[in-house]
Amino acid sequence: MVIPNLTPAIAEIFLACSGMLLLVYGVFRGDSSVRSVSWLSVLSIVIAGVFLSFGDGRNLTFNGQFIADDYARFMKWLVVLGSSLAVVMSISYNKTEKIEKFEYPILILFSTLGMFMMVSANDLISLYIGLELQSLALYVVAAFRRDSLRSSEAGLKYFVLGALSSGMLLYGASMIYGFAGTTSFDGLAVTLRGGTGEPAVGLIVGLVFLITGLAFKVSAVPFHMWTPDVYEGAPTPVTAFFAVAPKIAAMALFVRLLIGPFGVLLSEWQQVIILISVASMVFGAVAALWQTNIKRLLAYSSIGHVGYALVGLAAGSEAGVRGVLIYMAIYLAMNVGTFCCVLAMRRSSGMVENIFDLAGLSRNQPVLAFAFAALMFSMAGIPPLAGFFGKFYIFIAAVDAGLVVLAILGVLSSVVSAFYYLRIIKIMFFDESAERFDRAITGEIRLILTVATCFVLFFFLRPGLIVENAESAARVLFVG
Amino acid sequence: MIAAIAFYCFSAVAVGSAIMVISARNPVHSVLFLILTFFNAAGLFILIGAEFIAMILIVVYVGAVAVLFLFVVMMLDIGFAQMREGFLQYLPVGGLIGIILAVELILVGGSWSLSSKIQQIRSSPTPSLEKMTNTHAIGNVLYTEYIYLFQGAGLTLLVAMVGAIVLTLRTRRGVKKQKIAKQIARRPEDSVKLHNVQTGSGV
Amino acid sequence: MFDIGLAHYLTVAAILFTLGIFGIFLNRKNVIIILMSVELILLAVNINLVSFSVFLEDLTGQIFAMLVLTVAAAEAAIGLAIIVVYFRNRGTIAVEKINLMKG
Repeated sequence: MVIPNLTPAIAEIFLACSGMLLLVYGVFRGDSSVRSVSWLSVLSIVIAGVFLSFGDGRNLTFNGQFIADDYARFMKWLVVLGSSLAVVMSISYNKTEKIEKFEYPILILFSTLGMFMMVSANDLISLYIGLELQSLALYVVAAFRRDSLRSSEAGLKYFVLGALSSGMLLYGASMIYGFAGTTSFDGLAVTLRGGTGEPAVGLIVGLVFLITGLAFKVSAVPFHMWTPDVYEGAPTPVTAFFAVAPKIAAMALFVRLLIGPFGVLLSEWQQVIILISVASMVFGAVAALWQTNIKRLLAYSSIGHVGYALVGLAAGSEAGVRGVLIYMAIYLAMNVGTFCCVLAMRRSSGMVENIFDLAGLSRNQPVLAFAFAALMFSMAGIPPLAGFFGKFYIFIAAVDAGLVVLAILGVLSSVVSAFYYLRIIKIMFFDESAERFDRAITGEIRLILTVATCFVLFFFLRPGLIVENAESAARVLFVG
Repeated sequence: MIAAIAFYCFSAVAVGSAIMVISARNPVHSVLFLILTFFNAAGLFILIGAEFIAMILIVVYVGAVAVLFLFVVMMLDIGFAQMREGFLQYLPVGGLIGIILAVELILVGGSWSLSSKIQQIRSSPTPSLEKMTNTHAIGNVLYTEYIYLFQGAGLTLLVAMVGAIVLTLRTRRGVKKQKIAKQIARRPEDSVKLHNVQTGSGV
Repeated sequence: MFDIGLAHYLTVAAILFTLGIFGIFLNRKNVIIILMSVELILLAVNINLVSFSVFLEDLTGQIFAMLVLTVAAAEAAIGLAIIVVYFRNRGTIAVEKINLMKG
């Protein structure tokens, strides 16, 4: 009997244990414990993040099913930020909307654990288990406001399409297992690299199914149908969570899978990735032009952003992966900040979501309007804000990899998408004042918004901090 | 020969009842055909030599999942008279695409050959049947080599349980519940009093 | 014909998979049927995994199939819970009526 080395997975083990303990605590204390359970979940997610920083190097454990390397750590830190901020943002919202339940932070915690497992997956089976742990929790939180038709419809749509995508992904995984004879990423790399001539057709078909399943999870066109509806229907803090953490985790998985074991098949999957990346960029830019609901608009904007990140993956080079990592970090900051602004859109009658409700915000709440404008400029990719650098690194990598047309299409669609971001700014600064919002945004949301805005504004002063980490994270995927 | 006949019987019934699952008028019938499909798939598993998965399939799927489906279908009480309208409308195009997809997948399956490096990458080779049974072999690796995945699946089930409770549990007000601890804690001296009633004056 | 090999099992799996996909896209009336179609897809995956596992003489596939079974049960529970919640709010589970938000 050999006990596996548990140290590389210490953060996951800690999260699992604290999740179960908090569950017991919540059950015994009832709904009066929501506040303490929420803060304790935030604390455990952050502590898990601290545990991550103790690890270094590349460690395999659990029979090679789990991997902890610089890449995994970088992505997990982003996930930690996204999830813990999502819980913090939900606390006061859930209270005012009367959907306070102690299960909410616990479900977010477990889905964070699922994302950790996805990011650290080194085997098709652990990929699947992590993905399902994450998705099952997400289906529930999407439908969390169970008395609302919109929220339950969002949950239902997300569930049906998510289950379908899991099925596709699994069928692909089973084909790959059958034709390669192994589910382990290392084993797959050995089989594929040593292969002479054409790889087996079953592997290619399996890979296509796998890409389809993952494209659903990152909501890339043409598998994006659920995104706008789920974003609109789910409670706003849930939408904020959906927009960042699961996307980051799924993107991490996507990159590790394609660059790692399937790196030698670059010429086979590159075309597919280029196709969905162009479709996402263009669709995200064009379809958002007609949206008036801010959450739907952000859904299309996130489809576009996924398209840009996929450009870096399509490059298939170290610089491309570095670009993806930097892009996801900046995307996290921009989206968290923007959703803080959306949470501030509240009148005495309740939440408002129409972009015309923002009219005249610059006169009523100049600071909020300034932050919102900075974030929108950054999303549009206007220098010297952070969003510009994210796109810059990606497009440079694409040009270096010879994908000039792809880079040009990316620039063009970001010009188109700038139109709707600027429209929001125009409404805020130049339109007739609408009714004021309540000034009831709580201290923690104001703090998150300030930090996110500062990050976006001053990224150009010290880009090294993120760029260097991303560089060392990207390097490990190309070693060996 | 017998194995071949059994294979064709099981697979024909499995495919036939799968067709009925998606085309039956009445959702209850769909669930029942789903159960039939699972039974025949279990038959296929036994035929190929994976008894344990076959048993699990029957216990978990037929015993739990299908019954859950049946329960929900009956609980929701949907009028299913017009349930199937519009099915035929999409049938020709959908059927054509479906057949093409199936043929392609079958052709891919036909191209299978044993990977040349199989000896070196196989992570847990099946021990021979003389040494141990299928169940024994699975048990040997499930809690050792695959403990990570086993625990992960356990957490997934926990999340499913929490999720289902969060979504559907409703605490009703005004329900009279038995509080056993309170009943047991009740002592005679708290509730029974002896009064010395004067004769002829009433209580 | 009478010599049953891997290809035979893969054919059954492919047909069941196609039927599952077919059931999802063709169904306009009842969400529960969609859930059953997902179960059919997962069954096809399991047949694939188990038959590959037997022919590769490698137990990984059977472990994978077992975990797929477990997770599929969890998924069905969540799915049915969401359907029940939706039904309570809307009073119907017909697919074409799930259109409050246009997507």
